[in-house]
Amino acid sequence: MCGINGIFAYHSASSAPKETELVTTREAMRVRGPDGLGTWWSVDRRCGLGHRRLSIIDLSDRASQPMTSEDHRFVVVFNGEIYNYPQLRTELENDGVRFRTTSDTEALLHLYAHHGAEMVHRLRGMFAFAIWDEVRRGLFLARDPYGIKPLYTATDGWTFRFASQVKALLAGGPVSRDPEPAGIVGFHLFGSVPEPFTLYRDIRSLPAGHTQWVDGAGPREPKAFFNLAEVLAKGVAQPVPLAEVSERVHAGVLDSVRAHLLADVEVGIFLSAGIDSGALLGMMRDAGQHEISAVTLAFEEFRGTPEDEAPLAAKVSKQYGARHIVRRLSEREFIADLPAIVEAMDQPSIDGVNTWFVSKAAKEAGLKVAISGLGGDELFGGYPSFSDLPRWRRRFGAFAAIPGLGSVARRVIGALAPGISYTSPKVLGILEYSGSWAGTYMLRRGLFLPHELPHVMDPELAREGMRRLKPLSRVAAHLKPELKSNNTRVCVLESAQYMRNQLLRDADWAGMAHSVEIRVPLVDSKLLRTLAPVIPVLGPGVGKTALARSPAVPLREETVIRTKTGFGVPTSAWMDAFATRATHSTIREPDNKGLVSRRWSRIVLNGPGLTQNQLESGAS
Amino acid sequence: MLAIVSDAFGGRGGIAQYNRDFLGALTETGAVSRITVVPRHAPDEVVLPEGIEQTRPRSNRIIYSVAAIRTALLSHVDVVFCGHLYMAPLAALIKRLKRAKLIVQTHGIEAWPRPSKVQRAAVESADLVLCVSRHTRAAVLSWAAIEPERVLVLPNTVREAFTPGDRAAKRASLGMEGRHVLLSVGRMDSGQRYKGQDRVIAVIPDLIEKGYDVHYLIVGEGDDRARLEALARDNNVNERVHFLGPIGLASLVETYRAADLFALPSTGEGFGIAFLEAMASGTPALGLAITGAVDALADGELGTVVSKSDLVATIAHLLSQPKPDPIALATAVRSRFGRKQFAAGADAVLNRLAEPS
Repeated sequence: MCGINGIFAYHSASSAPKETELVTTREAMRVRGPDGLGTWWSVDRRCGLGHRRLSIIDLSDRASQPMTSEDHRFVVVFNGEIYNYPQLRTELENDGVRFRTTSDTEALLHLYAHHGAEMVHRLRGMFAFAIWDEVRRGLFLARDPYGIKPLYTATDGWTFRFASQVKALLAGGPVSRDPEPAGIVGFHLFGSVPEPFTLYRDIRSLPAGHTQWVDGAGPREPKAFFNLAEVLAKGVAQPVPLAEVSERVHAGVLDSVRAHLLADVEVGIFLSAGIDSGALLGMMRDAGQHEISAVTLAFEEFRGTPEDEAPLAAKVSKQYGARHIVRRLSEREFIADLPAIVEAMDQPSIDGVNTWFVSKAAKEAGLKVAISGLGGDELFGGYPSFSDLPRWRRRFGAFAAIPGLGSVARRVIGALAPGISYTSPKVLGILEYSGSWAGTYMLRRGLFLPHELPHVMDPELAREGMRRLKPLSRVAAHLKPELKSNNTRVCVLESAQYMRNQLLRDADWAGMAHSVEIRVPLVDSKLLRTLAPVIPVLGPGVGKTALARSPAVPLREETVIRTKTGFGVPTSAWMDAFATRATHSTIREPDNKGLVSRRWSRIVLNGPGLTQNQLESGAS
Repeated sequence: MLAIVSDAFGGRGGIAQYNRDFLGALTETGAVSRITVVPRHAPDEVVLPEGIEQTRPRSNRIIYSVAAIRTALLSHVDVVFCGHLYMAPLAALIKRLKRAKLIVQTHGIEAWPRPSKVQRAAVESADLVLCVSRHTRAAVLSWAAIEPERVLVLPNTVREAFTPGDRAAKRASLGMEGRHVLLSVGRMDSGQRYKGQDRVIAVIPDLIEKGYDVHYLIVGEGDDRARLEALARDNNVNERVHFLGPIGLASLVETYRAADLFALPSTGEGFGIAFLEAMASGTPALGLAITGAVDALADGELGTVVSKSDLVATIAHLLSQPKPDPIALATAVRSRFGRKQFAAGADAVLNRLAEPS
């Protein structure tokens, strides 16, 4: 995991990029890669690449970046890990390729030389990289299928720039800060900024599973090389009997965990008392790792209460012989870290606080790499949305399909019972949005609904943002090709929206802020292909139960049963208390989770604009 | 290719010149086999390059639209080139009728404010949008929901006629020997007072006070001239401000060479081709650090970009310096904005259209 950046003055009228800009952008990502740094310039100085390194595979200086091919034609900067690197290396060596390092970065150079843009189909891992081709005088960029690793680009019509972070691009100087209404509206709708937009008009995210080519004729539109719905649709077409679920889950997850352990440093794990991380810990043992540090985040105020996850996590840790590290968090520490948290957020997000603290704990424990159970709920139907969305569609879909009815109903109910719009604002939208899967998903996951936007932001900005974002059609586009099972629909929606734009972004900034690489074996394109045929038949709890039983020594029944009732986290209440104090609100606000998120969103959106007074007010 | 343009061959002004350059470059490089130009205006003699035909001009908007559609229906059209935002709805209609690709060209102030919904929709339906500067591109992207990769910058180019050369004779004929000569070239339009001749006039007294024997040449015509003359009188510099009116190409080149500094502190340049002409003629140029002028001056690497508040001090500083090597300056300008670069850019645009999406 690293920070990468580059500047390419592709237009004949543009000035050569400045060294100071390249270095300033790179240094804005220092925490992403504290172990090394480098820059590279093309002979004509029209293209410069920068790299900040967190050494994980091949710790030697030979593997430093930017890395140049032996013939000096290709130069790469790479952020991420290629988990099938050993197999790729063997294949390449069989083809006569000679490696100079033991780094996966070098494999990218050889693969591109041999296969060009098609190389991305051979990669298993999390990656964002750029390869300069000195002969074709162009840049090739790629981002992994799920979008685990970030990659942002900016072009002004003369010069193309890219970096691992939005804030790093801005730090370089020339990139415009003009606002992007679609990004701002997207944050209000979803609680995170949906790709490809950012808060800034001139900065875009290269979408997950896409490549992009830039040469003298300018950047081309990104091209997709991976489609979640397509993978699942193929799986649905090859159904397997329910009896095979356990075997598929076992084989698929074990294979993914084994692949994700590739490192020349210790790989630890974030261990909650849940099934996902517990099962992953067991599978790490099955994959042959015996020394495992397991980090659990617990809360001071839950100590000794049934809400405390630590005792159960300790049992799971003991079951698999891990070194258990419990890190207790207090409200005081939460508030003390808040300015740093908001500063570290690359784009605003209403979540990520827990990941910040567990990453902090991992760093304190001396870990550079940690496995996370992120993605388990999307893959195994763990969210309430897997039952809510189909139910809402069944109950309200027919009414919502009547043009205009939903909007009229919202207005009428809003007029007759105005309190509802205050306490349960989404109820008003149920007949308006449940006419489509995209609308129902927005209703379920949305922070604000479109009709509320003019009340929380500039109405003209809201209107323009909605026009540019087209949220319903953008969400609906994830469901193409058409999927025939509810599980697969929700799996795609949760993976392509919530997980991609929020969970994975949060894991990136929160982990990187502590120079910790978070690995996610349950977010893996090969695993998805393995499980695609069984996902449609996973009834409630079936997938998670299969996962719990996957380790050679299955998770104890006690863990599975206790996990079903869930654990609380006090951070939501802390956020709400902080937001209330910081805004000097004296009104007793409703405190359901959705409304707390709405209030918290104001804090994170104002991010760097938080005044010292606000911070002090919130903290006092 | 069908070119829907306000004017091109036989037309006047910067937009007509750009259209001629663009369409001419396409035929020169062989990117397009045949171009039919449908202009609204062509007041001057029409000289057509090989491979280009032009219908007779029709200024009436409705008659023009009907004629353009008729021409399209009777021709084989792969690409529609729309030379002006105002004509984009018509061009978009022809694109649909002929299932052709559409290029919309944007220049300057016409594309900066949000256009009508019909114009916006037409631009959003374009396969490529060309902008003369980064500023215009940013403006288009601020109101159009279009992929940024489809909005390209193809800046103006400078004609071969503008080269460094003898300046003494022209200075003598203008009575400017031994004086510090400022020059602006541009329209004096009372409806769009953005060119900034008034700003130059206003700083002349300060420059005189600093010891510079400044004279200011203004080339161009327009209905705002009387106001500028009055402004010169009000500042007691009317004997130092010389309105040369519209002048021919040869005289224009000589006048550029004769000046010590080309100054156009304009707030509304789509690009500012006059900056290129001045520098290609060997004379340093100065503009404000806003809008398309920043591109013509290459962020200050070719010419000087300045804020309004620094205008006096910067002009004084530049006048105190020896004039830079005219050949080196002209060469630097052509390396970025020469016809070769422009033709390569135009060719790349057509290649982009041919790429699989």
